[in-house]
Amino acid sequence: MNEKFALWTVLLRQYLKRDWRKIVIWVLGLGLFASAYVPAFKEIAKGSGLPTMYTTMKNPAMISIVGPTPIKNAADYTIGAMYGQEMLLFCGLFAMIVAALHVVGHTRKEEDFGLTELVQSFRVGRQANSLAVIVETIFINLLLALLTAGVMVSFRVASISLPGALLFGGALGLAGILGAALALLFAQIMPTSGGASGATLGLVGLLYVVRAGTDVSNVTWSWFNPLGWLYLTFPFTDNNWAPLVYGLLVSLVLVVVAFVLEGRRDVGVGYLPERAGRATAKSGLLSVPGLFLRLNRGTIISWMVALVLLGMAYGSIYGDMQSFLESNALMKQMFAATHTSIEASFTSTIIVVLVDLAAILPIAIVNKLFTEETRLHLSQLYVTKVSRRKLYWTNVSLALVAGVLGVALAAGSLGATALAAIGATSKMTLFDFLAAGFSGWPVVLFVTGLAALALGWAPRLGKIAYLYLGYSFALNYFGGILNLPDWFTKTAVQTWLPRLPVAQFNGPTFATITVLGIVLLVLGDLGYQRRDLI
Amino acid sequence: MAAIIEAQGLQKHFGKFQALRDISFTVNAGEVVGFIGPNGAGKSTTIRVLLGIIRGDGGQATIFGRNVWQERLAIHPRVAYVPGDVALWGNLTGGEIIDLFIKLHGGGDKTKRDELIKKFELDPRKKAKSYSKGNRQKVGLIAALSVPADLYIFDEPTSGLDPLMEMVFQEEVEQIKAAGKAILLSSHILSEVERLADKVAIIRQGKIVETGTLDELRHLTRSTVRLVAEQDPHDLATLRGVYDFTQKGAQVTFSVDNSALNTVLRAVTTLGVKKFEVVPPTLEDLFMRHYED
Repeated sequence: MNEKFALWTVLLRQYLKRDWRKIVIWVLGLGLFASAYVPAFKEIAKGSGLPTMYTTMKNPAMISIVGPTPIKNAADYTIGAMYGQEMLLFCGLFAMIVAALHVVGHTRKEEDFGLTELVQSFRVGRQANSLAVIVETIFINLLLALLTAGVMVSFRVASISLPGALLFGGALGLAGILGAALALLFAQIMPTSGGASGATLGLVGLLYVVRAGTDVSNVTWSWFNPLGWLYLTFPFTDNNWAPLVYGLLVSLVLVVVAFVLEGRRDVGVGYLPERAGRATAKSGLLSVPGLFLRLNRGTIISWMVALVLLGMAYGSIYGDMQSFLESNALMKQMFAATHTSIEASFTSTIIVVLVDLAAILPIAIVNKLFTEETRLHLSQLYVTKVSRRKLYWTNVSLALVAGVLGVALAAGSLGATALAAIGATSKMTLFDFLAAGFSGWPVVLFVTGLAALALGWAPRLGKIAYLYLGYSFALNYFGGILNLPDWFTKTAVQTWLPRLPVAQFNGPTFATITVLGIVLLVLGDLGYQRRDLI
Repeated sequence: MAAIIEAQGLQKHFGKFQALRDISFTVNAGEVVGFIGPNGAGKSTTIRVLLGIIRGDGGQATIFGRNVWQERLAIHPRVAYVPGDVALWGNLTGGEIIDLFIKLHGGGDKTKRDELIKKFELDPRKKAKSYSKGNRQKVGLIAALSVPADLYIFDEPTSGLDPLMEMVFQEEVEQIKAAGKAILLSSHILSEVERLADKVAIIRQGKIVETGTLDELRHLTRSTVRLVAEQDPHDLATLRGVYDFTQKGAQVTFSVDNSALNTVLRAVTTLGVKKFEVVPPTLEDLFMRHYED
């Protein structure tokens, strides 16, 4: 090694020593996550599970999420084939992201912190650090590949062979190496470490979306997509090693380019100039609602996307439900006896889950006001014409609007996807789904009220609203199974409300809990007016 | 002169800890009051009580004759405040934050804003997370100085600023003062307070231990005298009001009560004076006197 890489082995040893806890968690966590679901898949495969899953996984919606399978008829769909299709891409994405963040963290981030400058003042070569990090990351991913393959084979499932498992693990390792190479490249180009991680994750996200399209329309195009090289290996079915070779070659090219670029730049600056922000504020920011919306924007958008995706995921099951019922006479009889359709019954259960998830966001927004307070961001704002009442109610209103939107999107996407999946045979309409969702609205209002009460009187207890939500969700979910006493289950606010569309809407209960929620909000306001701010 | 801030026996407890024991002072229109004391003495707590951010639990305080807690909304639009620790939203730029503060305060002077940004040499296009402590401080100062106000409250305003920027700040304060506004300046940079303040209030362990104009305070204390004379001056040490008499070669140094200056002068003239210097006490001397024990 020449002077540029002087002492890189010292740095590598140093990194391994410094990171060993992280490495253990990384390899064990990701490796087991990728490999240890084999028993669960064995369960699914029992009876006529595999052909049913095959039909489900042939659905373009599912392919766009998890990727394709090379299997052409249901009889050939083995546990291994199912595992490869459903697990590889997702685990690969995780491996890629973790590796990318790790590489940026040890390269550009250390430059931003000024650590690199310190290290380079010793006899260390200018590019020794990058080499050490990339070698460390490759090493970690090799461990990950071997662990994953080993654990998978240990379950002794016929269709999960050793070569297939090695290929599965290898594809996972390749994902990590590709992520590391991309991150190293962007670490040279982007102006800051934040920009480097952002650009890497953005590109991975873009590749994911592009492959969703090409997988559904024409898989040949996915061969030009680095993300495609993960699942196109088709472990346990085609066992194709070629994509791994492409991936390693491209990674090598990326790393070499990154090293050349790094050799020609100064410490702490990238090739792209730092983009200057706005010198003056847009008028949309210049108000309390504008400010709060801006502060919560990221959280709100990501929750909305998550709720829509979740609604779609649950909604896509509705198509299979009908065929499942047709093959099961007992279940068919049961539903005929209760005069409810399986769709209605499923909706009434799943909507509670969705509403509870939608209720997390309003709690987070209410708690955000206290976070801002503890970070001292608001100190200068307190001494303006803005009143505490304005801060409080703007925040609460934003939380409630986000709650309404969340319930609408979750229930709406569930309904729309479900209706598309069932086709014309359904007796349910989109309105039924929305009605079911909004019949649970008092739950959202109530837990938002709890969070607001805490904000007003004991802001350090803001997490209690989450705890109560979790508690009542668990009670509500398992209460029926465990046969708990009535008074006990009634401590969960959800149990008071009838579950639409199976049960009838109950106006007085709805109104009572709504009023209760509003009372909590008002009490919170009284506290917020009176307490010492930080 | 109209009293802008009037605090009378203010107290504040945090649980069992009593942060403020007895805070009494006034700030009048057209006056700069330096509020000095070490860290933890209660400067920021006092200011936050005055601004109705926290509630005092004893005593009385008014600003513009209004109760600082109950009528804070009527008070705040006429007050410009820079907190001791200016914390900003990392993903907004300095320019955006300044505009936001100005707007939420009730509007301000756009040209003044741009002029201040130039004077303080702030890059308003940078995200706040990349600002140093001094640059964050500038954001707070620019926002506060761009809005119209009758009372300015600065909590350690120049911490993190370099000496050149300190000068800019001091010039701005002098302008505000000339315009007849009231200023409460909390600081432990005593030279700054000495230069700007008409009055000082010294706080110690939650109590105002001394307040008055600098001249008044000086009068209460001793000046330092350095003397070189032809004859041996050691008899001076026996005079009333002379303390800490030390002799080093030909030069003697001692401190003297200001009330005893005349006696000392009369005695000195008989000694054949070669050099005679009287140095009035610096604010630091005043300050240290309260903290020596």
